[in-house]
Amino acid sequence: MSNKVIELTEAVREIPQDGAEIALGGFAITRNPIAFVNEMIRQKKKNITLYEIIGSMDADLLVGANCVNTFIYSGGSLDRFGRLGRVNEAIERNTMKVEEYSGLSISLRFLAGSLGIPFVPTKTLLGTDMLTNLINKRNNAVKVMNSPFLKDDQVVVLKAINPEFAIIHAQIADEKGNIIIEGPKWDIELALSAKKLFVTVEQIVSNKYIKKYPEKVSIPSISTYRVIEVPYGAFPTSVYHCYDYYSNLIKEYARVNGDAVQFNEFLQKYILNLKDHSDFLLKTCTLDELLHLKVDPEYGYPAELGGKQDD
Amino acid sequence: MIKYSTNELMAVTASRLLEDHQNIVVGLGLPQIATILAQNTHAPNLNIIYEIGVVNPASVDMGVGIADSRLWYQADYFTSFVGTLGGLLQKGLVDVGFLGGLQVDQFGNLNSTLIQTGNGIRHFTGSGGAGDIATYSKNIFVIMRHEKRKIVNMVDYITSVGYYQGKTSRQDIGLPQCSSVIIITNLCVFSFSKEDKKIQIDSIHPGVSLEQIKENTGASFLIPAKPRVTEEPSKVEIELLENQIDPEHQYI
Repeated sequence: MSNKVIELTEAVREIPQDGAEIALGGFAITRNPIAFVNEMIRQKKKNITLYEIIGSMDADLLVGANCVNTFIYSGGSLDRFGRLGRVNEAIERNTMKVEEYSGLSISLRFLAGSLGIPFVPTKTLLGTDMLTNLINKRNNAVKVMNSPFLKDDQVVVLKAINPEFAIIHAQIADEKGNIIIEGPKWDIELALSAKKLFVTVEQIVSNKYIKKYPEKVSIPSISTYRVIEVPYGAFPTSVYHCYDYYSNLIKEYARVNGDAVQFNEFLQKYILNLKDHSDFLLKTCTLDELLHLKVDPEYGYPAELGGKQDD
Repeated sequence: MIKYSTNELMAVTASRLLEDHQNIVVGLGLPQIATILAQNTHAPNLNIIYEIGVVNPASVDMGVGIADSRLWYQADYFTSFVGTLGGLLQKGLVDVGFLGGLQVDQFGNLNSTLIQTGNGIRHFTGSGGAGDIATYSKNIFVIMRHEKRKIVNMVDYITSVGYYQGKTSRQDIGLPQCSSVIIITNLCVFSFSKEDKKIQIDSIHPGVSLEQIKENTGASFLIPAKPRVTEEPSKVEIELLENQIDPEHQYI
């Protein structure tokens, strides 16, 4: 049986230092592959072409750390915690190339990639400034044409994306790379479209366990390249059925990410000066706080906290 | 006379526009509150869709956004973006899409991406599913604050297409028809004229004057001969909102 398990630092070393093409699986403040991204920042990856359906904390960190050359996404935020301050500023100051889609149009590009079809037609984007800008930038991935089947019917044609790498965080995988994603799976087409899929998981389980519940497997081992076990690997973002987002740190981040100097202090203190993800957990919260994030299995989140966490 | 806040009036107004058995794409905040209110009053069989891949949750706690698992509690179905925005929305199964934004224009186009300033652009959230929801929902309901800089003749950026340039221009560029665009603000409800698809007053909230609306609107708009007054919430609706749906008054 092929064993795809690898240590985090080793896995990140497999990503080229310069110019890698990477799709990230995060969504705002949930299931961001933070441990992987922080390690990419420590290893000083440069000039990344970065894809993400909904821009999230992971992408904002990479952009702020000057790792990204081009960002292709459909907008994003830290939900009510705040904005993607580093992404927004890089767009405003034109220090990064950006291509903006809608959520469906970029997802359809990944879907096409995951199915091995060259492109996919749709109606979405018509009339929008996303479309105008994508065509003006001659990105060669989006075209408007007449439908081959209906007279005078305009369609948008979206080119498949097959990124060199996809990086997602999930709850469970076995050593072969059968991945169980619990909760909504916004990142599944993106993961399946990649040439090399890296997954960080909360827990590695036996293949025997997987064989008991094959219907739970979202991504088969055939599609997976590397498996990395990183408990709390999405912290401070949440993982359904495992732990909640950690409000204190995301709030702190949302306070500093609008300003380059303050962001750099955050980056030094919590990422560059630390050796690994365990260190990151130890430096950003107490054990008590970490245990408080543990979910109530009936709810999928820490129900005793109700609608909000303590400030 | 029943006492209510403006946000409660907005939630109730949106809620009453929903019909039973409709499929609704919802976001956090007043749209979510309006939809839950409708489920608890006249429309118990509404289906709720969150673009992240969640269908028919029955949340008991408020969250910080659709990425918060508090909003996924007791869902019927988990899927992907392609599952919600593709398989449900793009297929034409969504009756109402709720949207907000930085700006809306005289033809109902919405901007949630960027604002032009004297100093270049200020970039905000962007589309997410918003552009798709405007493309494919049969009805687009917008809830936003009523400010001169937010309701304008031309948006700085079209993230989500309403009636495009008015008249039949939406269909002319190849988009599916939409039956209505409704904008609910803290001062009034706007709809769009039958032929020209130009913004018009639909009803004015109780206690608000036409002058107040004119002062706070950056777009030219049509005014019917005798504008209606927005219907006030009922006691039942206000009690549901305050005691059951948003007891901590996060949004109302």
